[in-house]
Amino acid sequence: MTLTNPTPKRVALVIGSGSVKCAAAIGLQNVLRREGIELDLVVGCSGGALYAACLALGYDARTIAEMTSRLWTRDITRHRSYSAWLRILLPGVFGFSERFGLLDDRLVMARLRTALGETTFAQAKIPLYITATDFAAGHQVILSQGRLVDAVRASIAMPYIFQPHPVEKRLLVDGYLSDPLPVGVAIKEGANIIVAMGFESPYQSRINSLPRFTFQISSIMTNNLFKANFAFHTLAHHGEVIPVVPEFQQRIRLFDTEKIPYIIEEGERAMEAQLPYLRRLLEATAV
Amino acid sequence: MSIQQPSLALVVGSGSVKCAAALGVWKVLQRENIKLDLVVGCSGGSLYAAALALGYDLAAAEEMTLSFWTGDLMSGYASNLKAAMSGERDFNERSGLVDDAPLLGVLKQVFGERRFDETLLPLYLVATDFRTGEKVVLSQGRLADAIRASVAIPMIWPPWEVDGRLLTDGAVADPLPVDVAIKEGAHIILSLGFDLPVRARLRSFNAVQSHLNTLYTNNLLRATYAFYNLAHHAEIIPLWPNLEKNISAFDTRQFPLIIEQGQRAAEEQLPYLRRLLDTPDVVG
Repeated sequence: MTLTNPTPKRVALVIGSGSVKCAAAIGLQNVLRREGIELDLVVGCSGGALYAACLALGYDARTIAEMTSRLWTRDITRHRSYSAWLRILLPGVFGFSERFGLLDDRLVMARLRTALGETTFAQAKIPLYITATDFAAGHQVILSQGRLVDAVRASIAMPYIFQPHPVEKRLLVDGYLSDPLPVGVAIKEGANIIVAMGFESPYQSRINSLPRFTFQISSIMTNNLFKANFAFHTLAHHGEVIPVVPEFQQRIRLFDTEKIPYIIEEGERAMEAQLPYLRRLLEATAV
Repeated sequence: MSIQQPSLALVVGSGSVKCAAALGVWKVLQRENIKLDLVVGCSGGSLYAAALALGYDLAAAEEMTLSFWTGDLMSGYASNLKAAMSGERDFNERSGLVDDAPLLGVLKQVFGERRFDETLLPLYLVATDFRTGEKVVLSQGRLADAIRASVAIPMIWPPWEVDGRLLTDGAVADPLPVDVAIKEGAHIILSLGFDLPVRARLRSFNAVQSHLNTLYTNNLLRATYAFYNLAHHAEIIPLWPNLEKNISAFDTRQFPLIIEQGQRAAEEQLPYLRRLLDTPDVVG
């Protein structure tokens, strides 16, 4: 017996922070498309914001993969902002402000514009939410209007690396500082079933400098924040949160875009593993 | 038929000198003749959790505070930072920007060779495994060792090895580890936590670094606290002393104010605490 009008299950995809590893979301989406499972909304944080935006705009998998490979290359970090170093060393003379970033972000903005143009949230085919962090107070900021290029730029504003990005008079930084995997946003927007793709921050294999020490601490805190928020949302949500956490057999460094095909494969594998469970949830008449 | 008394825990989270508010809470509990069954400490909170567990009186705890939180603890920071950033000086997982000799000296002075098994109450101190990021609960051995590990502010003091594990500040895993009290069977948990103050203007690289650390820590605190609250079938009583005034990490002049605010926070929750203690079905 089938119900004639079963309650539509709002299915959301949340893509958490993970820089180039977020390409695994392409693999995830490949599996869902193959299975005829439609998404009702997408949430993206940090690196995930770029993929969430592309998915919401309806770009196909190949386009997204190619576009992000061309966009996210090591040379965006080559344009060091020399004045930034002067500001660190001589803040009294050169003036130091909150809008601090070690890198000149003109190249990354240009690249984002190539990928996203002047598209706005209104043009997304499904509801899209991108998260960032209020730099002054630290709380999560949910962006769902205006230009996508601004929202993604704010969401990926990695501390020290890129300057905080102003959006409507607020300085915003990387979404991962408030919540690396913003499942709460999907819950607020009424999703019943939430496919949450998150990534563990890598730990250092060897510590031989102060920056590496800092990254180690940063990774530990990010992972703990990820786990705590995830545990909370899973417990709090009456519906279902399905974690899809790809396991990478090789080390994936920040700009390893040549590994994108492999990353996509692992994304597919991780989604396949949760597919039976997702199907069961979709078939259940009551959530 | 015997009615089981609900067990009561105090968790003192990270917050540097503000953790002294625990003494204000303690004053209220003593006055009301309410007995604690266990104490948990994390980071700066470890000092006070240990002092309470050893049964130190208020005067002794005040002396401990004044001798601990002094400017000497941070000597060498600026010059070491320059050397580390320029690569002039090696920096590895056992490094810190401040010499920990003054810190070890103070711990020795305050806690000597005293051990966990000497405490009057079960005591648990929380640190973080530097390599894996896991929360590590210390409840054996020398108190000075455990506190040294729990309070090891990253980059400032070197991580500290205990039983073959390299440990750093407990706050990095969880600034307010209520789960430790839950796991040790506490029914009612007084959780004393502190938000890090957010600075209005950031005038230097260090200030930005410190600010980002603040945002992270506050978010981690809120996330874990929200989870514990939801997960625990029994009661978690939040004690958030009103310390709006920006109290810097070592500002011991604010000590009387801090204790007073700790007392006030405890007074506010007293009626609720009493009700819980008198309710047999709190014991799940």
